[in-house]
Amino acid sequence: MSERQDQRLLEVNGLKKYFPIKRGFLRKTVGYVKAVDDVSLYVNEGETLGLVGESGCGKTTSGRCILRAIEPTEGEILFKDPNVGWVNVRELEEDALTSVRQHMQIIFQDPYSSLNPRMTLLQLVGEPLVINHGMKGKALEDRVAELLRAVGLRPEYLRRYPHAFSGGQRQRIGVARALALNPRFIVCDEPVSALDVSVQAQILNLLRELQEDFSLTYLFVAHDLSVVRHLADRVAVMYVGKLVEMGETGEIYPSPRHPYTEALMSAVPRPDPRAAKDRIVLEGEVADPANPPGGCYFHPRCRYAKPVCSVESPVLREITEAHFVSCHRAEELSLTGVA
Amino acid sequence: MVGNRTLLEVKSLRTYFPLDEGLVRAVDGADFKLVSGKTLGVVGESGCGKSVTAQSILRIVPRPGKIVEGELLFHRYSKEGDAFSMADVVDLAKLDPRGRDIRRIRGNEIAMVFQEPMTSLSPVHTMGNQIAEVILLHQKVSQAEARERTLDILHRVGMPKPSQTIDSYPFELSGGMRQRGMIAMALSCHPSLLIADEPTTALDVTTEAQILDLMRELQEELGMAIMYITHDLGVVAEMAELAVVMYLGKVVERADVDSLFYNPHHPYTKALLRSIPRITEDRRKWLEAIRGMVPDPYNMPSGCPFHPRCVSAQKQCEEVDPPWVEVEPEHWARCVLYADGTTETGQG
Amino acid sequence: MATIETPTSGARSDTSILRDKDEEHIYTASQWQLMWWQFRKHKAAMIAIVVLGVMYFLALFAEPFAVYGPTERFPRFENVQPTRIRFIDEEGQFRGPFMYELTRTVDPATVRVVFVEDTSEMYPLRFFTPGTPYKILGIFPASLRLVGSGTDGPPIFLFGSDHLGRDLYSRTLYGSRISLFIGFGGVFLTFFFGITLGGISGYLGGTTDEVIMRIIDFMVSIPQIPLWMGLAAAVPRDWPVIRTYFAITLILSIVGWGGLARAVRGKLLSLREEDYVMAARVYGAKPRRLIFKYLLPNFMSYLLVSVTISIPFMILGETALSFLGLGIQPPAVSWGTLLRDAQRLTVVAQRPWQMIPGAFVVAAVLMFNFIGDGLRDAADPYARL
Repeated sequence: MSERQDQRLLEVNGLKKYFPIKRGFLRKTVGYVKAVDDVSLYVNEGETLGLVGESGCGKTTSGRCILRAIEPTEGEILFKDPNVGWVNVRELEEDALTSVRQHMQIIFQDPYSSLNPRMTLLQLVGEPLVINHGMKGKALEDRVAELLRAVGLRPEYLRRYPHAFSGGQRQRIGVARALALNPRFIVCDEPVSALDVSVQAQILNLLRELQEDFSLTYLFVAHDLSVVRHLADRVAVMYVGKLVEMGETGEIYPSPRHPYTEALMSAVPRPDPRAAKDRIVLEGEVADPANPPGGCYFHPRCRYAKPVCSVESPVLREITEAHFVSCHRAEELSLTGVA
Repeated sequence: MVGNRTLLEVKSLRTYFPLDEGLVRAVDGADFKLVSGKTLGVVGESGCGKSVTAQSILRIVPRPGKIVEGELLFHRYSKEGDAFSMADVVDLAKLDPRGRDIRRIRGNEIAMVFQEPMTSLSPVHTMGNQIAEVILLHQKVSQAEARERTLDILHRVGMPKPSQTIDSYPFELSGGMRQRGMIAMALSCHPSLLIADEPTTALDVTTEAQILDLMRELQEELGMAIMYITHDLGVVAEMAELAVVMYLGKVVERADVDSLFYNPHHPYTKALLRSIPRITEDRRKWLEAIRGMVPDPYNMPSGCPFHPRCVSAQKQCEEVDPPWVEVEPEHWARCVLYADGTTETGQG
Repeated sequence: MATIETPTSGARSDTSILRDKDEEHIYTASQWQLMWWQFRKHKAAMIAIVVLGVMYFLALFAEPFAVYGPTERFPRFENVQPTRIRFIDEEGQFRGPFMYELTRTVDPATVRVVFVEDTSEMYPLRFFTPGTPYKILGIFPASLRLVGSGTDGPPIFLFGSDHLGRDLYSRTLYGSRISLFIGFGGVFLTFFFGITLGGISGYLGGTTDEVIMRIIDFMVSIPQIPLWMGLAAAVPRDWPVIRTYFAITLILSIVGWGGLARAVRGKLLSLREEDYVMAARVYGAKPRRLIFKYLLPNFMSYLLVSVTISIPFMILGETALSFLGLGIQPPAVSWGTLLRDAQRLTVVAQRPWQMIPGAFVVAAVLMFNFIGDGLRDAADPYARL
């Protein structure tokens, strides 16, 4: 393994998730929705990779496929297990998967549907410990109390049910549950987008704090580019199931290399009335993942498109050190980012 | 069409919901003005009463909610040549919510665009029929003429292939197209005031950018006032000239957008502006979060509702209802810090 | 750790419906408790629970409350109107509850048999008096009856008597046994089929799901009443009561399970998509644990509502079949068989008391519907805000 790979915790190669479209009485498969179509990315140990894109671009599906919370159609998911070293998560059998998953957890977007309403905090947060380590009694209570303290909830709340908590507090409970098994890697699936603006910052700070305290690695799935810039070391941008750009946050935001990244960042409304208002407004609609256009999926909306773009699919390539772009014209274009 | 005609004055509006669990003061003191050709941004978090304010203006507050106090003065103008002269003033708060008068105003002179177009459009009627319906309801035109106008308005809102979409059902359209349809419906009778309640919250950023652009263009063209309700400070900065910030039913600050962002006075506004991550800012270690959480509407804090979370809270904040003070010309804040009239410059 | 927030009390919670409770009490309340608190607020449902409780109690312990045995006949007392219980005698004096003997005469004008009170002698009602011997729950021999006219008094017909001279009041009590409990039996079977098949369908998905769903489509499309009648008619007449009872229960539940299986499947499919189920899978919960700790508890409340609203359908179904003569066969008594006696028009015109069992059917169904209503409101304590 190369030196570069030594820093990595997760490497995904050629990940695909196709959902069959079934029609008719006999439920014949008439086509596929290519929710995730050949995505390759990596996450370095201890960093946060922001995975951004608009709804339906496959970012959430990608995150879930990596954990095998849903089964990927194809691809390789390499994870550096602290005990056994590199494993391909996709090929693991049930038992081995359970053991690897202790190191890979997930935090959900919706603080309401992510907690079983019939379990107390003790049961909710303790469940992973009960299942994996058979913990019970005082030991379990102590560990859960410790976890609750770590996410800023009072341990006296052990016997309460989730209905006693507000959205922000519930999100903390979800975080505590994800931390229970001492994971190294957490998929954060839009963890703040359902929260009030004034509570978002608390949860973002909490995630940052926990990352330091427990040396966590995050895959942070989000549609909010401001949040991602604040939290992520590197960013990966998806459009209609494909990764279009990936690189350092500090590089992509000021100087994007893919026209879609440029447009996406330009479209974000800035909380500054004095900011220039010359936004790039994309024409048309996001391509249909069941019936994408030929060539580059973005070409019908791209203002830099050339004839080649409608014929040939671009491949993701490294144009500068650790900056990957899938655009035919990546080298020649000079795009504007956000300062 | 120029000139800043005042269209609607909202004066100390209070809308309460007497529920079994207690009295919910959904709107508890809102004062602002809507001016033709300008956009007023109404910002606040969930439960701050921004949507109920809009519902109060249209008199569509769901039961058992009731306007218990305040005036909603709607100004009408008549146009002679290029000059407008005030024709009459109606207090919307005094109208019968099911009466003829308000029905003639609603959808005609004041129109509304909602957050989720799918739930506010009828699923069993085509887009075109729904828009034509509004036109037929408020104007004396023939069926054919209504369809003609519908087609025209669909063109205007940038609906792709209007001659086809006019006969499409809402579910056949994408989120962005549906929202364009909603806007078309709202604008079909040339309202003087458009209330937009989080119209882009359910949309993606690139679609949001399209809709925001469209609304600005239409405003320039038609000169209506827009009341734009949102939780996104970015959208306010982009869209509005004037803004009010609401917290737990109260308007806590009102100013032009530039002053609000660069010289905020109310501690809530200041804290909110500091706590949001910005796309233009490099990775920062901590965000300055506002402590605590939005309280439950049945358990409202006494005095200033923000005091438990406020960094500048004083002893009196627990007891006194903070005064509405003009801290600078045309810049108002509801906070005891400014009670004696002295102005303290905040940092933006 | 540095910037920890201790959430202040009065945080927005979802159970504001229960403000009157002390907070900690609510926060640590399980779903069932929340449901019960919400349910208690539904007055009609609470009354219905009491009424049904009494009805079921009376059905279980019918004998001491009945005046006579279910088939005890009083020759020459056919089609007697309900006995009038009197308190005040001819002279206007209070005498406690008593009755007069009825004498059988023929109305000269209509040439019909009528019963007239013979006011010459008063028969006081006796309480806790020995009557025909019986066995409580079929086990303990006893002979005390709540009400009676003693061994020498004339027969008491609180609801009148039928065309064979049997006491309708006693028969209504005995009949409630089959009528009220057939609901439980039928519902139990419906649920057994519905949950198993719906559960398999929803949990496994794929081809199994397709096959089960198509079978249900077929079942549901058979017209219900002809199917019932056809099946019920096929039950041999000479079967013993118990066997007929189970056959009818089975027939009643055959129709119901399809809809339930479909609902269970739908509910399972939607629950399976909940994030907390996915979370549980990611932290290693095995299918068994997923089903019993995550899926089942979350649709128990839903099932409870379904049970309550399907019992009245069973009661009505039994009544309908027996009324048509296809259900429970005499000498077994159920509300349906009792009403069968009231089929003729003359009953409606001249012996309206023979329709009293119908009132019990209506009452029972109504009460179940009230409870169902209350449960539906309470089933999801979070749904209301």
